[in-house]
Amino acid sequence: MIFLYFDPGLGAMIVQAVVAAAAGVLLFSKGVMYKVKSFFGLIKEKEDTYDSIDIDEKDTDVNDKEK
Amino acid sequence: MTKKNSTAHEASFRDPSGYMFYDAGSLRRVINPIYFQQYYRLKDSRFFSTLIEKGLLISHEETSASEKQIIITPEKIPFITNPYEWSFEQFKQAALLTLKIQKYALSKGFILKDASAYNITFHKGKPIFIDTLSFDFYEENTPWRAYKQFITHFFGPLVLAKYHGTDIFKMLQTHIDGIPVKMIASMLPRKTKLSSTLFTNIHLLANMESKHSEDYKAETKVAKLSRKAQNNILDSLFNYIKNLQLNEATEWGNYYTKTNYEATAFEAKKELIRKWTVTLQPQKLIDIGGNDGTFARTVLDQVPHVIVTDIDGNSVDHNYRQVQKNKETNMLPFVCDVLQPAPGVGFNNTERASLIERLKEYAPDVTMALALIHHITLSGNVPFEKSAEFFAAFSKHLIIEFPTREDSWVVSLLVRKREFINHFDFYNEANFEAGFKNYFSLEKKEVVAGTKRILYLYKNNKDVG
Repeated sequence: MIFLYFDPGLGAMIVQAVVAAAAGVLLFSKGVMYKVKSFFGLIKEKEDTYDSIDIDEKDTDVNDKEK
Repeated sequence: MTKKNSTAHEASFRDPSGYMFYDAGSLRRVINPIYFQQYYRLKDSRFFSTLIEKGLLISHEETSASEKQIIITPEKIPFITNPYEWSFEQFKQAALLTLKIQKYALSKGFILKDASAYNITFHKGKPIFIDTLSFDFYEENTPWRAYKQFITHFFGPLVLAKYHGTDIFKMLQTHIDGIPVKMIASMLPRKTKLSSTLFTNIHLLANMESKHSEDYKAETKVAKLSRKAQNNILDSLFNYIKNLQLNEATEWGNYYTKTNYEATAFEAKKELIRKWTVTLQPQKLIDIGGNDGTFARTVLDQVPHVIVTDIDGNSVDHNYRQVQKNKETNMLPFVCDVLQPAPGVGFNNTERASLIERLKEYAPDVTMALALIHHITLSGNVPFEKSAEFFAAFSKHLIIEFPTREDSWVVSLLVRKREFINHFDFYNEANFEAGFKNYFSLEKKEVVAGTKRILYLYKNNKDVG
Protein backbone atom coordinates (compact mmCIF):
# COMPACT_ATOMS: atom_id res chain seq x y z
CA MET A 1 0.00 0.00 0.00
CA ILE A 2 1.23 3.43 -0.82
CA PHE A 3 -0.09 5.91 1.61
CA LEU A 4 0.05 9.44 0.40
CA TYR A 5 -0.97 12.60 2.12
CA PHE A 6 -0.38 15.11 -0.62
CA ASP A 7 -1.41 15.32 -4.26
CA PRO A 8 1.42 14.01 -6.42
CA GLY A 9 -0.06 15.76 -9.46
CA LEU A 10 -1.44 13.58 -12.22
CA GLY A 11 0.52 15.33 -14.94
CA ALA A 12 3.69 14.75 -12.97
CA MET A 13 2.96 11.03 -12.77
CA ILE A 14 2.33 10.72 -16.49
CA VAL A 15 5.22 12.88 -17.61
CA GLN A 16 7.79 10.69 -15.88
CA ALA A 17 7.69 8.15 -18.71
CA VAL A 18 8.84 10.85 -21.15
CA VAL A 19 11.35 12.31 -18.67
CA ALA A 20 12.82 8.86 -18.14
CA ALA A 21 13.08 8.20 -21.89
CA ALA A 22 14.89 11.51 -22.47
CA ALA A 23 17.13 10.84 -19.48
CA GLY A 24 17.90 7.38 -20.81
CA VAL A 25 18.98 8.74 -24.18
CA LEU A 26 21.10 11.43 -22.52
CA LEU A 27 22.78 9.04 -20.13
CA PHE A 28 23.45 6.57 -22.93
CA SER A 29 24.99 9.19 -25.22
CA LYS A 30 27.09 10.59 -22.38
CA GLY A 31 28.30 7.09 -21.67
CA VAL A 32 29.26 6.63 -25.30
CA MET A 33 31.00 10.02 -25.39
CA TYR A 34 32.89 9.12 -22.23
CA LYS A 35 34.12 5.89 -23.76
CA VAL A 36 35.16 7.65 -26.97
CA LYS A 37 36.95 10.38 -25.05
CA SER A 38 38.71 8.00 -22.72
CA PHE A 39 39.79 5.94 -25.75
CA PHE A 40 41.56 9.05 -27.05
CA GLY A 41 42.79 9.91 -23.56
CA LEU A 42 40.79 13.11 -23.30
CA ILE A 43 39.33 12.52 -19.84
CA LYS A 44 40.70 14.71 -17.13
CA GLU A 45 39.93 13.67 -13.60
CA LYS A 46 38.04 16.53 -12.01
CA GLU A 47 38.33 17.45 -8.40
CA ASP A 48 34.95 16.67 -6.96
CA THR A 49 33.40 17.55 -3.63
CA TYR A 50 30.38 15.40 -4.32
CA ASP A 51 30.49 11.69 -4.32
CA SER A 52 28.30 9.67 -6.64
CA ILE A 53 24.59 9.09 -6.33
CA ASP A 54 25.24 5.48 -5.43
CA ILE A 55 25.83 4.40 -1.88
CA ASP A 56 28.78 2.09 -1.51
CA GLU A 57 27.73 -0.61 0.92
CA LYS A 58 30.98 -2.54 0.91
CA ASP A 59 32.33 -0.81 3.97
CA THR A 60 29.21 -1.28 6.06
CA ASP A 61 28.22 -4.44 7.80
CA VAL A 62 25.00 -4.82 5.90
CA ASN A 63 24.54 -8.38 4.84
CA ASP A 64 20.84 -8.45 4.40
CA LYS A 65 19.54 -10.46 1.51
CA GLU A 66 17.24 -8.90 -0.99
CA LYS A 67 13.68 -9.87 -0.26
CA MET B 1 13.07 24.82 25.80
CA THR B 2 11.70 23.43 29.01
CA LYS B 3 8.72 25.71 28.62
CA LYS B 4 7.56 23.42 25.81
CA ASN B 5 6.58 20.49 27.98
CA SER B 6 5.05 17.64 26.06
CA THR B 7 3.68 19.70 23.22
CA ALA B 8 3.48 18.74 19.58
CA HIS B 9 6.08 20.29 17.32
CA GLU B 10 4.47 22.90 15.08
CA ALA B 11 6.06 21.59 11.91
CA SER B 12 4.81 18.02 12.02
CA PHE B 13 1.14 17.63 11.40
CA ARG B 14 0.94 16.94 7.68
CA ASP B 15 2.05 13.33 7.76
CA PRO B 16 -0.46 10.94 9.41
CA SER B 17 2.35 8.41 9.99
CA GLY B 18 3.42 10.19 13.15
CA TYR B 19 4.41 13.47 14.71
CA MET B 20 7.16 15.18 16.69
CA PHE B 21 6.68 16.40 20.22
CA TYR B 22 8.69 18.00 23.01
CA ASP B 23 9.11 15.85 26.06
CA ALA B 24 10.63 18.04 28.77
CA GLY B 25 13.27 19.47 26.52
CA SER B 26 13.84 16.48 24.25
CA LEU B 27 12.33 16.29 20.82
CA ARG B 28 10.82 12.87 20.19
CA ARG B 29 8.84 11.29 17.39
CA VAL B 30 5.64 9.27 17.75
CA ILE B 31 4.92 6.61 15.14
CA ASN B 32 1.27 5.72 14.63
CA PRO B 33 0.09 2.12 13.96
CA ILE B 34 -0.61 3.09 10.34
CA TYR B 35 3.16 3.20 9.83
CA PHE B 36 4.22 0.21 11.98
CA GLN B 37 4.64 -2.16 9.03
CA GLN B 38 6.92 0.25 7.20
CA TYR B 39 8.88 1.11 10.33
CA TYR B 40 9.66 -2.51 11.20
CA ARG B 41 10.69 -3.38 7.67
CA LEU B 42 12.96 -0.34 7.48
CA LYS B 43 14.46 -1.23 10.83
CA ASP B 44 14.78 -5.00 10.39
CA SER B 45 16.23 -4.82 6.90
CA ARG B 46 18.93 -2.52 8.29
CA PHE B 47 17.83 0.20 5.89
CA PHE B 48 17.81 2.82 8.64
CA SER B 49 21.11 1.72 10.12
CA THR B 50 22.92 1.82 6.76
CA LEU B 51 21.78 5.37 6.05
CA ILE B 52 22.64 6.38 9.60
CA GLU B 53 26.12 4.83 9.42
CA LYS B 54 26.71 6.69 6.17
CA GLY B 55 25.76 9.94 7.91
CA LEU B 56 22.90 10.52 5.51
CA LEU B 57 20.00 10.10 7.95
CA ILE B 58 19.76 11.50 11.46
CA SER B 59 20.29 8.75 14.02
CA HIS B 60 17.58 7.81 16.49
CA GLU B 61 16.92 5.51 19.39
CA GLU B 62 13.75 3.58 19.99
CA THR B 63 12.50 4.96 23.30
CA SER B 64 9.38 2.86 23.70
CA ALA B 65 7.15 0.56 21.69
CA SER B 66 3.58 -0.50 22.39
CA GLU B 67 0.65 -1.59 20.26
CA LYS B 68 -0.64 1.94 20.14
CA GLN B 69 2.52 3.83 19.39
CA ILE B 70 6.26 3.64 18.98
CA ILE B 71 8.36 6.52 20.23
CA ILE B 72 11.78 7.24 18.82
CA THR B 73 14.20 9.92 19.96
CA PRO B 74 16.36 11.40 17.22
CA GLU B 75 19.80 12.87 17.80
CA LYS B 76 19.49 16.51 18.79
CA ILE B 77 20.27 19.12 16.16
CA PRO B 78 21.29 22.41 17.79
CA PHE B 79 19.85 24.71 15.14
CA ILE B 80 17.52 24.09 12.19
CA THR B 81 18.12 26.13 9.05
CA ASN B 82 15.41 26.35 6.42
CA PRO B 83 15.83 26.13 2.62
CA TYR B 84 15.39 29.89 2.15
CA GLU B 85 18.44 30.40 4.35
CA TRP B 86 20.80 28.18 2.38
CA SER B 87 23.53 29.24 0.01
CA PHE B 88 23.68 27.82 -3.51
CA GLU B 89 26.17 25.12 -2.62
CA GLN B 90 24.13 24.08 0.41
CA PHE B 91 20.93 23.96 -1.62
CA LYS B 92 22.64 21.89 -4.27
CA GLN B 93 23.98 19.36 -1.80
CA ALA B 94 20.58 19.05 -0.11
CA ALA B 95 19.02 18.26 -3.51
CA LEU B 96 21.71 15.70 -4.32
CA LEU B 97 21.26 14.03 -0.96
CA THR B 98 17.54 13.66 -1.61
CA LEU B 99 18.19 11.96 -4.97
CA LYS B 100 20.85 9.74 -3.48
CA ILE B 101 18.52 8.56 -0.73
CA GLN B 102 15.69 7.94 -3.17
CA LYS B 103 17.94 5.87 -5.42
CA TYR B 104 19.16 3.81 -2.51
CA ALA B 105 15.61 3.38 -1.20
CA LEU B 106 14.49 2.18 -4.62
CA SER B 107 17.20 -0.46 -4.71
CA LYS B 108 15.93 -1.79 -1.38
CA GLY B 109 12.24 -1.80 -2.27
CA PHE B 110 11.36 1.52 -0.67
CA ILE B 111 10.66 5.06 -1.89
CA LEU B 112 10.81 8.53 -0.47
CA LYS B 113 7.11 9.30 -0.22
CA ASP B 114 7.83 13.00 -0.15
CA ALA B 115 10.74 15.13 -1.33
CA SER B 116 10.22 18.24 0.75
CA ALA B 117 13.26 20.48 1.17
CA TYR B 118 12.35 20.68 4.87
CA ASN B 119 13.30 17.02 5.20
CA ILE B 120 16.89 18.17 5.11
CA THR B 121 18.92 20.46 7.31
CA PHE B 122 22.60 21.03 8.00
CA HIS B 123 24.33 19.31 10.87
CA LYS B 124 28.00 18.63 11.59
CA GLY B 125 29.16 20.34 8.43
CA LYS B 126 26.92 18.59 5.91
CA PRO B 127 23.33 18.07 4.84
CA ILE B 128 21.38 15.39 6.67
CA PHE B 129 17.95 13.86 6.15
CA ILE B 130 15.81 14.42 9.24
CA ASP B 131 12.39 13.01 8.43
CA THR B 132 12.73 9.38 9.45
CA LEU B 133 9.13 8.57 8.48
CA SER B 134 9.46 9.73 4.88
CA PHE B 135 9.91 6.20 3.53
CA ASP B 136 7.30 3.86 2.18
CA PHE B 137 7.15 0.60 0.23
CA TYR B 138 7.94 0.68 -3.46
CA GLU B 139 5.26 -0.78 -5.64
CA GLU B 140 6.73 -2.29 -8.78
CA ASN B 141 6.35 -0.17 -11.93
CA THR B 142 4.89 2.90 -10.25
CA PRO B 143 6.27 6.38 -10.98
CA TRP B 144 7.85 8.38 -8.14
CA ARG B 145 5.02 10.17 -6.38
CA ALA B 146 7.29 12.76 -4.89
CA TYR B 147 8.78 13.65 -8.29
CA LYS B 148 6.80 16.87 -8.67
CA GLN B 149 7.70 17.89 -5.15
CA PHE B 150 11.35 17.38 -5.93
CA ILE B 151 10.99 19.73 -8.90
CA THR B 152 9.12 22.43 -6.97
CA HIS B 153 11.29 22.22 -3.83
CA PHE B 154 14.73 21.57 -5.29
CA PHE B 155 15.25 21.39 -9.02
CA GLY B 156 13.14 24.44 -9.96
CA PRO B 157 14.64 26.80 -7.35
CA LEU B 158 18.18 25.68 -8.26
CA VAL B 159 17.69 26.21 -11.99
CA LEU B 160 16.01 29.56 -11.35
CA ALA B 161 18.92 30.59 -9.13
CA LYS B 162 21.26 29.93 -12.03
CA TYR B 163 19.47 32.58 -14.10
CA HIS B 164 18.18 34.99 -11.46
CA GLY B 165 20.51 34.63 -8.50
CA THR B 166 20.07 32.95 -5.15
CA ASP B 167 17.53 35.51 -3.91
CA ILE B 168 15.09 33.17 -5.68
CA PHE B 169 15.39 30.83 -2.69
CA LYS B 170 13.52 33.44 -0.63
CA MET B 171 10.45 32.66 -2.73
CA LEU B 172 10.18 29.52 -0.65
CA GLN B 173 9.11 31.71 2.26
CA THR B 174 5.89 32.49 0.42
CA HIS B 175 5.56 29.09 -1.26
CA ILE B 176 5.90 26.52 1.47
CA ASP B 177 5.27 23.66 -0.93
CA GLY B 178 7.82 24.84 -3.43
CA ILE B 179 7.64 27.17 -6.40
CA PRO B 180 4.73 26.15 -8.67
CA VAL B 181 5.96 24.38 -11.82
CA LYS B 182 4.13 26.80 -14.10
CA MET B 183 5.84 29.72 -12.43
CA ILE B 184 9.25 28.08 -12.73
CA ALA B 185 8.64 27.49 -16.44
CA SER B 186 7.49 31.07 -17.00
CA MET B 187 10.58 32.50 -15.32
CA LEU B 188 13.10 30.52 -17.32
CA PRO B 189 14.60 31.90 -20.53
CA ARG B 190 13.22 30.40 -23.75
CA LYS B 191 16.51 28.75 -24.59
CA THR B 192 16.08 26.37 -21.66
CA LYS B 193 13.55 24.50 -23.86
CA LEU B 194 16.51 23.32 -25.90
CA SER B 195 17.96 21.38 -22.99
CA SER B 196 16.39 17.93 -22.90
CA THR B 197 16.65 17.84 -19.10
CA LEU B 198 15.04 21.25 -18.55
CA PHE B 199 12.50 20.75 -21.30
CA THR B 200 11.17 17.48 -19.94
CA ASN B 201 11.51 18.11 -16.21
CA ILE B 202 10.11 21.63 -16.23
CA HIS B 203 8.44 22.84 -19.42
CA LEU B 204 6.78 19.57 -20.34
CA LEU B 205 5.85 18.94 -16.72
CA ALA B 206 4.20 22.37 -16.55
CA ASN B 207 2.18 21.61 -19.69
CA MET B 208 1.11 18.20 -18.48
CA GLU B 209 0.12 19.60 -15.10
CA SER B 210 -2.20 22.21 -16.61
CA LYS B 211 -3.58 19.66 -19.05
CA HIS B 212 -4.52 17.23 -16.31
CA SER B 213 -5.47 19.66 -13.59
CA GLU B 214 -9.20 19.01 -14.04
CA ASP B 215 -9.20 15.31 -13.48
CA TYR B 216 -11.26 15.66 -10.30
CA LYS B 217 -12.35 12.05 -10.10
CA ALA B 218 -8.87 10.66 -10.63
CA GLU B 219 -10.14 8.77 -13.65
CA THR B 220 -7.14 8.95 -15.96
CA LYS B 221 -4.98 5.88 -15.74
CA VAL B 222 -1.62 6.53 -14.23
CA ALA B 223 1.24 5.57 -16.49
CA LYS B 224 3.63 2.82 -15.53
CA LEU B 225 7.31 3.37 -15.01
CA SER B 226 9.91 0.67 -14.58
CA ARG B 227 12.48 0.76 -11.83
CA LYS B 228 15.21 1.15 -14.44
CA ALA B 229 13.41 4.13 -15.99
CA GLN B 230 13.04 5.76 -12.59
CA ASN B 231 16.74 5.26 -11.95
CA ASN B 232 17.41 7.06 -15.23
CA ILE B 233 15.43 10.06 -14.02
CA LEU B 234 17.33 10.11 -10.74
CA ASP B 235 20.74 9.71 -12.40
CA SER B 236 20.13 12.41 -14.95
CA LEU B 237 18.79 14.88 -12.37
CA PHE B 238 21.78 14.10 -10.16
CA ASN B 239 24.27 14.73 -12.97
CA TYR B 240 22.52 17.92 -14.03
CA ILE B 241 22.39 19.39 -10.52
CA LYS B 242 25.95 18.36 -9.76
CA ASN B 243 27.20 20.45 -12.70
CA LEU B 244 24.89 23.39 -12.08
CA GLN B 245 26.72 26.72 -11.62
CA LEU B 246 25.45 30.19 -10.89
CA ASN B 247 25.55 32.57 -13.87
CA GLU B 248 26.28 35.41 -11.52
CA ALA B 249 28.97 33.36 -9.80
CA THR B 250 31.35 36.16 -9.07
CA GLU B 251 34.52 35.02 -7.47
CA TRP B 252 33.92 35.26 -3.79
CA GLY B 253 34.12 39.02 -3.17
CA ASN B 254 37.54 39.28 -1.63
CA TYR B 255 36.20 41.14 1.34
CA TYR B 256 39.20 41.05 3.55
CA THR B 257 41.54 42.40 0.90
CA LYS B 258 39.27 45.44 0.85
CA THR B 259 39.45 46.05 4.57
CA ASN B 260 40.35 49.56 5.54
CA TYR B 261 42.90 48.58 8.11
CA GLU B 262 46.33 47.05 8.20
CA ALA B 263 47.15 43.39 8.61
CA THR B 264 48.47 44.07 12.10
CA ALA B 265 45.16 45.66 13.11
CA PHE B 266 43.38 42.64 11.64
CA GLU B 267 45.46 40.36 13.86
CA ALA B 268 44.90 42.65 16.86
CA LYS B 269 41.15 42.36 16.36
CA LYS B 270 41.35 38.57 16.10
CA GLU B 271 43.46 38.40 19.26
CA LEU B 272 41.07 40.59 21.22
CA ILE B 273 38.04 38.57 20.16
CA ARG B 274 39.72 35.31 21.02
CA LYS B 275 40.80 36.59 24.44
CA TRP B 276 37.35 37.84 25.39
CA THR B 277 35.54 34.79 24.06
CA VAL B 278 37.79 32.27 25.75
CA THR B 279 37.20 33.89 29.16
CA LEU B 280 33.44 33.50 28.70
CA GLN B 281 33.77 29.76 27.90
CA PRO B 282 30.72 29.67 25.65
CA GLN B 283 29.04 26.44 24.56
CA LYS B 284 27.25 28.15 21.69
CA LEU B 285 28.29 31.19 19.72
CA ILE B 286 26.76 33.08 16.82
CA ASP B 287 28.53 35.57 14.60
CA ILE B 288 25.97 37.75 12.85
CA GLY B 289 27.25 39.35 9.68
CA GLY B 290 30.29 37.12 10.07
CA ASN B 291 31.16 37.02 6.36
CA ASP B 292 33.06 33.81 5.56
CA GLY B 293 33.65 33.00 9.22
CA THR B 294 37.18 34.41 9.45
CA PHE B 295 36.68 35.80 12.96
CA ALA B 296 34.48 32.97 14.22
CA ARG B 297 37.22 30.54 13.16
CA THR B 298 39.62 32.12 15.62
CA VAL B 299 37.54 30.57 18.42
CA LEU B 300 36.28 27.46 16.64
CA ASP B 301 38.56 25.18 18.64
CA GLN B 302 37.20 26.64 21.89
CA VAL B 303 33.46 26.56 21.26
CA PRO B 304 31.45 23.33 20.75
CA HIS B 305 28.92 24.92 18.36
CA VAL B 306 29.37 28.01 16.19
CA ILE B 307 26.92 29.67 13.79
CA VAL B 308 27.99 32.26 11.23
CA THR B 309 25.41 34.18 9.22
CA ASP B 310 25.85 36.68 6.45
CA ILE B 311 23.61 38.56 4.05
CA ASP B 312 25.85 37.63 1.12
CA GLY B 313 25.23 34.15 -0.27
CA ASN B 314 28.71 34.14 -1.81
CA SER B 315 30.35 34.58 1.58
CA VAL B 316 28.19 31.84 3.06
CA ASP B 317 29.13 29.58 0.14
CA HIS B 318 32.79 30.36 0.71
CA ASN B 319 32.40 29.60 4.40
CA TYR B 320 30.56 26.34 3.68
CA ARG B 321 33.30 25.19 1.30
CA GLN B 322 35.87 25.83 4.03
CA VAL B 323 33.76 23.85 6.50
CA GLN B 324 33.84 20.89 4.12
CA LYS B 325 37.47 21.29 3.18
CA ASN B 326 38.59 21.47 6.82
CA LYS B 327 35.99 18.85 7.88
CA GLU B 328 34.68 21.16 10.59
CA THR B 329 31.73 19.65 12.39
CA ASN B 330 30.88 22.48 14.76
CA MET B 331 30.39 25.33 12.27
CA LEU B 332 27.02 26.13 10.72
CA PRO B 333 26.88 28.87 8.07
CA PHE B 334 23.63 30.27 6.66
CA VAL B 335 22.25 33.30 4.85
CA CYS B 336 20.50 35.98 6.91
CA ASP B 337 19.59 39.59 6.31
CA VAL B 338 19.49 41.19 9.76
CA LEU B 339 17.19 43.92 8.46
CA GLN B 340 14.72 41.30 7.29
CA PRO B 341 15.21 38.03 9.18
CA ALA B 342 13.26 34.94 8.08
CA PRO B 343 9.63 35.20 9.28
CA GLY B 344 7.48 32.42 10.73
CA VAL B 345 5.81 30.73 7.75
CA GLY B 346 3.25 28.06 6.95
CA PHE B 347 0.04 27.12 8.73
CA ASN B 348 -0.68 29.35 11.74
CA ASN B 349 2.59 31.13 10.91
CA THR B 350 4.23 28.58 13.15
CA GLU B 351 5.03 25.65 10.86
CA ARG B 352 8.53 27.03 10.26
CA ALA B 353 9.68 29.21 13.12
CA SER B 354 10.97 32.72 12.56
CA LEU B 355 14.67 33.35 12.90
CA ILE B 356 14.21 35.25 16.16
CA GLU B 357 12.26 32.37 17.71
CA ARG B 358 14.90 29.88 16.63
CA LEU B 359 17.66 32.11 17.99
CA LYS B 360 15.85 32.43 21.32
CA GLU B 361 15.63 28.68 21.55
CA TYR B 362 19.24 28.25 20.50
CA ALA B 363 20.20 30.83 23.16
CA PRO B 364 23.83 31.53 22.18
CA ASP B 365 26.16 32.26 25.07
CA VAL B 366 28.01 34.77 22.94
CA THR B 367 26.74 36.83 20.04
CA MET B 368 29.29 38.59 17.86
CA ALA B 369 28.41 41.55 15.65
CA LEU B 370 31.59 42.79 14.04
CA ALA B 371 31.53 45.63 11.53
CA LEU B 372 27.76 45.35 11.41
CA ILE B 373 26.21 48.14 13.48
CA HIS B 374 27.12 50.90 10.99
CA HIS B 375 25.26 48.98 8.27
CA ILE B 376 22.19 48.46 10.45
CA THR B 377 22.22 52.07 11.60
CA LEU B 378 23.24 53.93 8.47
CA SER B 379 21.90 51.70 5.68
CA GLY B 380 18.87 50.43 7.56
CA ASN B 381 18.17 53.65 9.50
CA VAL B 382 17.66 51.59 12.65
CA PRO B 383 18.11 53.58 15.90
CA PHE B 384 20.73 52.19 18.32
CA GLU B 385 18.11 51.31 20.88
CA LYS B 386 16.23 49.19 18.38
CA SER B 387 19.41 47.34 17.44
CA ALA B 388 20.09 46.74 21.12
CA GLU B 389 16.57 45.35 21.54
CA PHE B 390 17.19 42.94 18.65
CA PHE B 391 20.42 41.58 20.11
CA ALA B 392 19.00 41.50 23.64
CA ALA B 393 16.18 39.19 22.55
CA PHE B 394 18.52 36.20 22.35
CA SER B 395 22.08 37.11 23.43
CA LYS B 396 23.61 36.48 26.82
CA HIS B 397 26.88 38.19 25.99
CA LEU B 398 27.39 40.49 23.05
CA ILE B 399 30.71 41.34 21.46
CA ILE B 400 29.97 44.28 19.22
CA GLU B 401 32.28 46.42 17.16
CA PHE B 402 31.51 50.10 16.77
CA PRO B 403 33.23 51.83 13.85
CA THR B 404 33.43 55.51 14.80
CA ARG B 405 32.62 58.43 12.51
CA GLU B 406 36.29 58.60 11.54
CA ASP B 407 36.25 55.07 10.13
CA SER B 408 36.51 55.29 6.33
CA TRP B 409 33.51 53.04 5.73
CA VAL B 410 31.33 55.09 8.02
CA VAL B 411 32.53 58.20 6.20
CA SER B 412 31.55 56.59 2.91
CA LEU B 413 28.12 55.54 4.19
CA LEU B 414 27.56 59.05 5.54
CA VAL B 415 28.53 60.95 2.41
CA ARG B 416 26.10 58.81 0.44
CA LYS B 417 23.33 60.34 2.54
CA ARG B 418 24.08 63.61 0.68
CA GLU B 419 21.75 66.42 1.83
CA PHE B 420 20.41 64.22 4.63
CA ILE B 421 23.83 63.79 6.22
CA ASN B 422 22.77 65.96 9.19
CA HIS B 423 20.04 63.50 10.03
CA PHE B 424 22.77 61.13 11.08
CA ASP B 425 24.63 63.35 13.50
CA PHE B 426 23.46 60.98 16.23
CA TYR B 427 25.90 58.35 14.97
CA ASN B 428 28.59 58.54 17.62
CA GLU B 429 30.10 56.64 20.50
CA ALA B 430 28.06 58.33 23.24
CA ASN B 431 24.69 57.70 21.59
CA PHE B 432 25.65 54.15 20.76
CA GLU B 433 26.45 53.46 24.40
CA ALA B 434 23.29 55.22 25.56
CA GLY B 435 21.15 53.07 23.24
CA PHE B 436 22.68 49.81 24.41
CA LYS B 437 22.61 50.78 28.08
CA ASN B 438 18.87 50.06 28.29
CA TYR B 439 19.41 46.40 27.54
CA PHE B 440 23.01 45.61 28.35
CA SER B 441 25.62 46.35 30.96
CA LEU B 442 29.09 47.19 29.77
CA GLU B 443 31.81 44.72 30.75
CA LYS B 444 34.74 45.66 28.54
CA LYS B 445 35.58 48.35 26.04
CA GLU B 446 38.73 48.58 23.96
CA VAL B 447 39.88 50.41 20.85
CA VAL B 448 41.12 47.96 18.21
CA ALA B 449 44.75 48.96 17.80
CA GLY B 450 45.46 50.62 14.46
CA THR B 451 41.80 51.26 13.61
CA LYS B 452 39.03 53.78 14.24
CA ARG B 453 36.91 51.09 15.77
CA ILE B 454 35.92 50.20 19.31
CA LEU B 455 35.14 46.72 20.55
CA TYR B 456 32.56 46.33 23.34
CA LEU B 457 31.72 43.38 25.52
CA TYR B 458 28.19 43.59 26.87
CA LYS B 459 26.21 41.41 29.24
CA ASN B 460 22.45 41.17 28.88
CA ASN B 461 20.52 42.78 31.76
CA LYS B 462 17.97 40.00 31.54
CA ASP B 463 18.29 36.25 31.56
CA VAL B 464 17.69 34.74 28.16
CA GLY B 465 17.36 31.14 26.99
